[in-house]
Amino acid sequence: MKRFEQLDHTADLALRIYGQDMGELYVNAAYAMFHHLAAVDDVRPLLREQVCVEGADPESLLVNWLNELLYLHETETRVYCAFDILALSPQRLQAMAYGEESHAVHTIIKAATYHDLSIRHTDQGYVASIVFDV
Amino acid sequence: MVNKKDMRRVDRYLWEIPRGYRHDMRVPARIYADDALLEAALQDRSVEQLINTACLPGLVKYVLAMPDIHQGYGPPIGGVAAMGMDDGVISPGAVGYDINCGVRLLRSNVEAAQVKPFVTELMDALHYGIPSGVGRGGDIRLSGRDMDKVLERGAGWAVSKGYGTDQDLQHTEEHGALDAADASAVSSKAKKRGSNQLGTLGAGNHFVEIGKVVDVYDETVAQQMGVWPGQMVLWIHSGSRGLGHQVCTDYVNAHRRAVDKYGIHLPDRQLVCAPIDSPEGRQYMAAMACAANYAWANRQLLMHRARTIVADVLGPHLKQLGLTLIYDIAHNIAKAEQHTVEGRKMQLLVHRKGATRAFGPGNPRLPEDYRTVGQPVLVPGDMGTASYLLVGTSEAAAKSFSSSCHGAGRVMSRKAAKRKARGEEVQRSLQEQGIIVRGPWRGLAEEAPHAYKDIDRVVNVVHESGLARRVARMVPMGVIKG
Repeated sequence: MKRFEQLDHTADLALRIYGQDMGELYVNAAYAMFHHLAAVDDVRPLLREQVCVEGADPESLLVNWLNELLYLHETETRVYCAFDILALSPQRLQAMAYGEESHAVHTIIKAATYHDLSIRHTDQGYVASIVFDV
Repeated sequence: MVNKKDMRRVDRYLWEIPRGYRHDMRVPARIYADDALLEAALQDRSVEQLINTACLPGLVKYVLAMPDIHQGYGPPIGGVAAMGMDDGVISPGAVGYDINCGVRLLRSNVEAAQVKPFVTELMDALHYGIPSGVGRGGDIRLSGRDMDKVLERGAGWAVSKGYGTDQDLQHTEEHGALDAADASAVSSKAKKRGSNQLGTLGAGNHFVEIGKVVDVYDETVAQQMGVWPGQMVLWIHSGSRGLGHQVCTDYVNAHRRAVDKYGIHLPDRQLVCAPIDSPEGRQYMAAMACAANYAWANRQLLMHRARTIVADVLGPHLKQLGLTLIYDIAHNIAKAEQHTVEGRKMQLLVHRKGATRAFGPGNPRLPEDYRTVGQPVLVPGDMGTASYLLVGTSEAAAKSFSSSCHGAGRVMSRKAAKRKARGEEVQRSLQEQGIIVRGPWRGLAEEAPHAYKDIDRVVNVVHESGLARRVARMVPMGVIKG
């Protein structure tokens, strides 16, 4: 199953994310974001960081999850390549993020935005759309 | 979807979508554009976004879009929205994630022709010497106390540390620092993110450019600004880096709760806001001012670094370089300004996202040496084409809350731009035109000239509409991208 694809957007990065369940959706969203920042497939899961975020609803939770990872990426100079969801509810997410010191980072993502944000249930699971400011 | 038949033509280059077009609009929406630019705007969702912006509480007169309008998130890029201080809202989305993304332009005493033999060496030195901050920090590490000083003093902090002069501050919007700044309104996360990014350029459409003045349209104003034909100039385009991005993220979250608390109905979640006169509104104003100040400090530092590198490379060959700052302007910011509305003086909060202030002659907020002519308005183009120096007009006050365009504006998505040409091809094509480009391949592909609107058309609309007047046109000799 495809994990994500890039959509056309005049100025920013618009992605469509897929997942068989919500957990996989959040994992694939994080992977997709780092895929657009760095050569993520060259990154090894040597270091780990536990991440806990909350949100008013699953969409906000998605934005907060991605923005928290961006914050860690910039402040810890790390790229994350793999993620394990430890606990997930509509308003709270606890996860482990694996990665290593930044290398082969080729762009800066400013933030995950609320623009055109949606999470929908489909026959194959879930699909989300999200726009990042780059 | 909006189309042209829903609009009425107010003037040669001015269109209006009336308030009645949608039930939730509080004011009309106006767009400055020629026919081609309007058609381009109707291809993506920029006009719809402008209409959404017209739904914010407390708006005065109309919301506006400049001719470089393109789709953003929340308001379109190129959007101007002015609110009354008593009943209006402040919106982080109407400022943008890159708070005080802006640009500065330096003039010099040297002819571009004298610099030409050294351009490759100069661009290599600038590329090497100015950190982009992509994937790693810069060379300046700020302690907690220093960070708070940067946030409250802006470019003034940089000058106090020896990175420039008071003259630089005179020629910076707001003297390089907004008074409303309060470092306690900025989260520790934002401060941490910004702690090792001062002095870095950033990526995307940020750049440093060496250019040449090719046309002068207004000799009196050009002379007042120290500009002449054939002169070498230097542009710097950068913003508030991760600190600004985090401030926006933090306050978009805080204002999502505020929207419910104050019963504000929004057609787009990214338009979150809070009443200006509320704790949440005042906090964002204070934090936004801090981020703006960080960006001004950053551009001051980048300028200092660039001036040092130019002196190192050109100094042995050319004397009296005389690189001095013409002006620095912000193009993602909200400002408290006095404007006259229906004959009444009002204090308004003017949001400009991808738009710039353009005060006309006589404005007391301008430095003394520009007060008789008007504010320099800086309009950088994209990598391969022209940039402009304009001057603000008195007319713009009544027409656009003294606002003008900020650049060329994109027409093509980054994905489509990369499909159209690879970074190497873009670099080669520009080199064939004599423009030396340094930067990452992906960035070059995404920022290729074909991804942008025609700057000459955009500036023509602004000039013909009386928002700002053409003073000089410049073309690039070399560009570095983050």
